[in-house]
Formats: sequence, structure tokens, C-alpha cells
Amino acid sequence: MTWIDFPLYSSIIVILWFIGLVFLLISYKKQAVLKIANLLFVSGWAVMILFVVKLWIELDRPPMRTLGETRLWYATFLPLIGFVTFIRWKYKWFLAYSFIMASMFLAINYLNPETYSKTLMPALQSPWFIPHVLVYLFSYAVLAASSIVAIKGWFDSYKGNFNIETLKLADNLVYIGFAFLTLGLLFGALWAKEAWGHYWTWDPKEVWAFLTWMGYLIYIHYRYFHAQKSKQALTILALAFVVLLVCWFGVNYLPVANTSVHTYTQY
Amino acid sequence: MSENNIKIQRNLWENPWGYIESFFIGIGLIITGLFLEVFSTSNNVFTLSYPYNVIFLIGYIVVLFVLYKWFTNSQIIRWLTKVPASISSIVLVTVLVMIMGIIPQIPSENKIINNLGLNHITSNWAFLLILFQFLTCLGLISIKRILQFKWSNFGFVLNHTGLFLALTAGVLGTGDLQRLSINVYEGKPSWVATDQQKKEIELPFAFFLKDFLIDEYNPKLALVDNKTGSIAHNDGKNLYLVEKGETYYFNNFEVKIDNFLSNAIRFGMRYEAVNEIGSPPAAKVTVKNIENDSIKTAWISSGSFRYPYESLKISKEYSVVMTIPEVKKFSSDIDILTKEGERISTVLEVNKPFKYKGWKIYQLSYDDKMGKWSNLSVLELVKDPWLPLIYIGIFMMIAGAIYMFWMGNKITKNQE
Repeated sequence: MTWIDFPLYSSIIVILWFIGLVFLLISYKKQAVLKIANLLFVSGWAVMILFVVKLWIELDRPPMRTLGETRLWYATFLPLIGFVTFIRWKYKWFLAYSFIMASMFLAINYLNPETYSKTLMPALQSPWFIPHVLVYLFSYAVLAASSIVAIKGWFDSYKGNFNIETLKLADNLVYIGFAFLTLGLLFGALWAKEAWGHYWTWDPKEVWAFLTWMGYLIYIHYRYFHAQKSKQALTILALAFVVLLVCWFGVNYLPVANTSVHTYTQY
Repeated sequence: MSENNIKIQRNLWENPWGYIESFFIGIGLIITGLFLEVFSTSNNVFTLSYPYNVIFLIGYIVVLFVLYKWFTNSQIIRWLTKVPASISSIVLVTVLVMIMGIIPQIPSENKIINNLGLNHITSNWAFLLILFQFLTCLGLISIKRILQFKWSNFGFVLNHTGLFLALTAGVLGTGDLQRLSINVYEGKPSWVATDQQKKEIELPFAFFLKDFLIDEYNPKLALVDNKTGSIAHNDGKNLYLVEKGETYYFNNFEVKIDNFLSNAIRFGMRYEAVNEIGSPPAAKVTVKNIENDSIKTAWISSGSFRYPYESLKISKEYSVVMTIPEVKKFSSDIDILTKEGERISTVLEVNKPFKYKGWKIYQLSYDDKMGKWSNLSVLELVKDPWLPLIYIGIFMMIAGAIYMFWMGNKITKNQE
């Protein structure tokens, strides 16, 4: 059982979630079916967790090395965030979004079959590996969610029915995401000291991680002092997410890439 | 512009300074810095080392304190403790770091990049000046919140003071940071290290390498395109670890691994396990073409610096090859010998440095051509006396982040 079984598992998950989404849509008319939707979402998520656990055991190393493996974690965390947000804020559209995004990541993984590589280089064999990556991916998932809220905000204000509550939801997500982003960054620094001898070397990935952090820092400060200027805040939030995406995927394509120690994914 | 408008609008540089003035000052600092880069002739990086950096730090904090305490009425200090100054400096630091994230920070042929010093942003005057403004804002605000302490500001103080400490100590500490590397050979004491400028430095103690050990993963099996010589990706799925008894499928080939030897040499038709320097791994594979049921059996080997590799051609297009094994773990069993005749034994490994007399000693690398037969181990010695201060800053920020995660929600909930 490795990625060979992924098509099977991912189809089961996506089918369960898709039927769940249909029920969620119906629930706008008939509130009672919401329970069925949630049941489907939860069972899909349980299958997802089963796959992650089995993969971890089979690979004999944390499945966090390659981009495909990080996408898998992303698809695992998004539904969780969707649920927690739904319980807190009762936004059905947000629940739907988180499952659609998670399904999309599963589809990307299905289209780009993964490496079967079990090897893990010495620099990555550290107790810091799991907290560093998990905290980061959780943070990315939350911040991605916040940027969807930003897009919804833009859309609403374009239609002229913008509600400041939307921005408050974004604020909450950014606060949680930013706290985890800070932890990920600092865990990385502490780990780097153990592995490479220095806590900060301005490696390209570090540079972009720092920029991501600064982007959300600007958003938080702007929101704190200009609570009423919603449009500018939404723009900053969207831009910060662009920087995050560069950090996550884009660094490998920049001219600085070959000076980075964070490119673990050639094989 | 009508008369009315002018009356309502605040004039430039009128109290209090806003975003326009803030960016004006910030960009002014950057331009000044770039001018300094263009016209300064010395190539030396500006750093302060002990005791000047300590004096600077204490002086800086005292000045910030005095400024906050007795000069709050002055225009500049009031501006520095307000939001526009903070946000503008965060934005401008971000812009400069973004340049660093795009332009490789290595020697460049490009004249503009060279003259403006855009390939060494961290020591660029423009960056140092704007960072100085950023830190000054941060420092003043930290002092302000500490002096007007309230429990509801706890997270704020942790985050801001932590960042101030970590950044200031990080910048000032570079002058005292020592990073040396030393080549250590098996069975020989070594005490001459080299610093980053390739200068030789004699250590007050010596390293004696008793044994250098490498653990390897098994090699991997790959399908190679005979024409291009590159790995054919078998539908994008990757390489398999070679393990005795396993069967793998490449396109329409079934590859069974009959035998695997981690150190072997060819004797006539077969490989035999040996214990000799440079003996590569080898495996006996049986390849069945599922389409026409033809079977081929052969020994393949990844080769080493002493022996050639051997692959198996299974069709016109493809061959089966064995990759060179990847390293799982490498470690040095060393003794540290002091002038007093002391002998301290330890094992160094990646991610497991050893602390000795203010130095942290790291396993850095080895002779990768020799691989697991390397009798050279490269160690790194790092001394960073500012580390405790930086760690205090980092742990304050970690505490602040946890506080933020916890309280961030509550604050908004209360507002509802």
C-alpha cells in the first residue's frame, strides 16, 4: 500500500465529498439534509486520514518531503478548517469551498503520480521536521481560506452588499494562520541552528517565507488601525497570498532557486 | 483644486505626518543608501564586533528610552511611534527583501546590480538604513507598551519586544559570529581550521577521527531510455528501492529481484559478496516481457569509483539500471584532544551537533567521490556569543504567537 492505491482512495473520498456537496446545496432549501451532507463529509475525511496513516507507516518516514505529499496534507487540513469555521460562523459557502479545494488538491495529485521514494536525506532526519512542516501547512491552509474570504468580500462589494462580518471572518483566519506561520518560521530557525549551524542564512526559501510573514504583518497592522477601509485591506490580503504562493511553489522557478537548500523535490 | 479643498486637506509636512511623509522619508533613506553604495569605494562589509556592538546596543536602547521619555513632543519621535511610520517601514523592508528574493545574492556581471549592491542586500546601506528606521519604530513602540504595561498588552509586548531583540541581536551579532570548517582524516589529529575568508586558524584543541561511518539506503531500480540516457519515468511514477524478493512493474516489464548484495565484485558470470574498498552493490534481476513472455536474467550494479556500472538492456528502447545508493546517515566518531591532555569522545552526526567550550561542532560533509569509503570528514565549528539574546527574542515571539492564536479570536468575539 503506497501511492499505488491513491487513485482508489482518492476516488472514494471525492465521490463521498461530491455527494455531500450536492446535499449541502439542497440544504439551502431543506435544512434537514444538512446532517446527511456532514455525515458524507466526515466519512470522506475518515478515509483520507486512513490513507495518510497507512502511507506514513508504509513509507517509514513522515510523508512531508515532496510537493505531492504536502498537497496531501493540505487536502487533509482544509476540511478540518472548514468544519471548525462552519461550527463557529455557520457559513455554508465556506464549508463547500474547503471541500472543493481539498478535492482539487486530490485531483492534482491524481494527475501527477507521486514518487515512491522512501529515502530521507540526513538533514531532514530531525525531531523538528514534523512540527516545522505540519505547522506551516496548517498555516498555509488557513491563510488560503482567508484569501477566499477576501475574494468573496471583493465580489460582495462589487455587487454592493458587502458585510463587515466577512472581513471579521478573514481577520480571525489571518490571526490563526499568522500565529502558526510565526511558529513555523521560528521552528525552522531553531532547526536550522541544529542542522546547518546558523539560524538564518537568507536562503531563497527563507527569504520568501519572511516575505510571506511580512505580507500578513502588513495586513494585520493595516486592519488594526484602519478598521473601516475594507477594500484596501482585502487587496493587501490577496497580495499577501500571492507572496505565499511564490514561497510555496514559485521559489523553484525563480533565478535564485539553485542557491537554495530547500529544494528536496528533484527526485 | 478649489479653495475649500485646500482648507480641508492637510498640507504636506503639516502635523501629524501621514503616509505620504512616511514613504517620502523611507524612500529617501533607501535612495541615500543606494548613493552610498554607488559612491563608497571600500568593498568592506560594514559590521561591528565586540565590544563596539555591545556598546552600540546599550547606547541604542538608552537613546530610544531617553527619546521616548523626554522627547515625545518632538515631531520626529511622535511620527516614529505612529502607525504610518511602522507600516511604511514594514512595506519598504519587504520591498528590499523581495529584491533579495529575486536577484541571486552572488557576484554578478550586471553593472546596475553591482553598482547598487543589489546582490548583497543584507549588507546594503539602503537595507541597513531602512531596517534601522524599522527597528527604531519597533523599539520605541515596545518601550511605550512596556512602560504603560497592561495585561491586555501582554501579547503585544511579547511579539514586538521579541522581534526587536531577535533582529537587533541578529544584525549586531554578525560581527562576532565565527564559522570555521576543518578537514579531519581518519587516524590523524587535526587542529588547523579555515574561516569563511579561507584564512587558516589554529584551534586551541585538536580533533582525532577514530572512524567515519556512512549508512546507505539500498540503491534504486530505474528504467533508462537507451537513446537519451535519461530516466524514463514509468508513467511519472518513480524509482523503486532494490530489495531481495521484490517484484516491480515498468511499463510492460515485470522485474523480479532474485538476489541483492550490498558490497560485491564480479567473478566471471556472477557477483560475489566481498568486503573490499570500492565494492559496489549488485543485484540479480529477472525481467519478463509481459507481451511476449521472453525472459532475461542478469546481474546489474551501480558501480563505484573503482568499478564500472552494469545495466541490463531489456529492449531496443529501455535498459534497467541501478542508481548509486543514497546516504541515510553519516557520522564521525571523534576524540577532542586538549592541550592539557584531556580526551573527550563523542559521535557527530547531521542534526546532532556537539557543544564544547562555546563552540558548536557540526558534521558538515565528507569526500563524496569516495562515498562510504571516505576517510575524510569535514566538520564545522560555530561560535555565536549573541545566540542567547536571539533565543530570548525567538522564545518571546513563540509565546506571543501562542497568545495570539488563543486571544486573537476572543478579542473579536468580545466585540460582537
